[in-house]
Amino acid sequence: MKFWHQVISITWKDTFSEIRTREVISSVLVFTLLVIVIFNFAFGANQETLRLVAPGILWVTFTFTGVLSLNRAFIPEKEQGCLEGLMACPISREAIYVGKMLASLLFMLIIEAIALPVFAFLFNLPILTLPMVTITILATIGFVAVGTLFSALAINTRAREMVLPILFLPVMVPVIISAVNASKMALSGKPWSELASWIQIIGVFDIIFLVVSCLIFTYAIEE
Amino acid sequence: MENVSYVFVAFAIVWAVVFGYILLLLNRQRRLQQEIDLLKQRLEDRKSGD
Amino acid sequence: MKRTILLWISLALMVTALYLIFVIAPIERTMGIVQKIFYLMVPMGWLALLSFLVVFIGSILYLKKRSLRWDILSYSSAEVGVIFTTLALVTGSIWAKPAWGVWWTWEPRLTATLVLWLIYLTYFMVRSFATEESRGATFAAIVGIIGFIDIPIIVLATTLWRGLHPGALIFQGGLDPTMLLTLIISLLTFSTLYALILMQRISLKNNEVEIKRMKELSQPFN
Repeated sequence: MKFWHQVISITWKDTFSEIRTREVISSVLVFTLLVIVIFNFAFGANQETLRLVAPGILWVTFTFTGVLSLNRAFIPEKEQGCLEGLMACPISREAIYVGKMLASLLFMLIIEAIALPVFAFLFNLPILTLPMVTITILATIGFVAVGTLFSALAINTRAREMVLPILFLPVMVPVIISAVNASKMALSGKPWSELASWIQIIGVFDIIFLVVSCLIFTYAIEE
Repeated sequence: MENVSYVFVAFAIVWAVVFGYILLLLNRQRRLQQEIDLLKQRLEDRKSGD
Repeated sequence: MKRTILLWISLALMVTALYLIFVIAPIERTMGIVQKIFYLMVPMGWLALLSFLVVFIGSILYLKKRSLRWDILSYSSAEVGVIFTTLALVTGSIWAKPAWGVWWTWEPRLTATLVLWLIYLTYFMVRSFATEESRGATFAAIVGIIGFIDIPIIVLATTLWRGLHPGALIFQGGLDPTMLLTLIISLLTFSTLYALILMQRISLKNNEVEIKRMKELSQPFN
């Protein structure tokens, strides 16, 4: 029980500071929308092409968004010395991981909740379906599971903001492949059975990496 | 390119890289060994000099 | 002593393998002589994975025991591994040109090998980005562990992506027993070669560490 108390307090701390300033969420949100629009200019000659590239655009956008939001999970903390303070508390390292992971998850889900309808609107595609939502949630969990670990690692390096995407993207390849393909099928209205294998891959990824990252996390932030 | 040439190129590249790397390792090993001996000598001199 | 034995074994295996590949093994029906690149490509891919497995084990042991020798093992295996992965990509590409007409194709095995290559790269990059060496070793170990666990999932996703059922064999029509033997001997040859090169790299790295230590000793007042 104490573990979850610690987790909730960390998640709440992050969320609360975000609610108060709102600075990161607004900038990331604007960035996301801009990326969607720019991709439209890059690829969207006609409706046919758009239909083909839409899933790819969606997931590249969310990947960029993910990198941005994960970077902010730890970098400001390190710069203001909060991380040392946090580690001085008798809080288990795993609790820090889960707490931060949940905070980032919440953050990304909110952004996606806003971005998806915009996407549906601009691309004229049926985004707000149960399959799409499931895919988004599962893939985002995958993002934050690995991303929280790597961003904690990144703050102790020299080129902080660059390290996270460099480490993170190759590892996320299977999730991105699966999300794009599953989205492609979901947008064409294919039944669950066809989506199943892709969703299973993301699901397995999530479970494995949540556990592994949690266990390794302590090595990433130790002094 | 004729098909046989592809096979030849593939084998040639693999052998070249593998043996090139081995030679590189052996070379550096030799140089490092010399440096170690030199440093050991220096440490000995320092010890006997004190 | 161990190394000399290994050297002779690998030389013997190499000669055997070459003989098998070019004299004994039959020429494949559809692809012709180009198929023989296969006897290079599969061992390269196998070594790429084996090296990373060693990196994985070394990384776990380093994090648990904090002894430098495990980091040296991981680092050495990673260096040897990235070379073999590069060769896997190169031979795969050379195979692709006569086989499919293009230098590169996003087929599952090549794609997965490319991602593995990238993960190797990040293994080295995270070391150089770290603020101190011991930190670098820890971070690299983390990458080694996460990267290795990811590999099966990557293979699964890329195979599914290109429409192949994950259980599909490399060849349609099964493998001729002579070809299988040739393949196994090639695998053995390269595996012994890997062990040899790895040991050489480790002792080189040990020397590097030794020199650094001695340099620090000989300048006590900085």
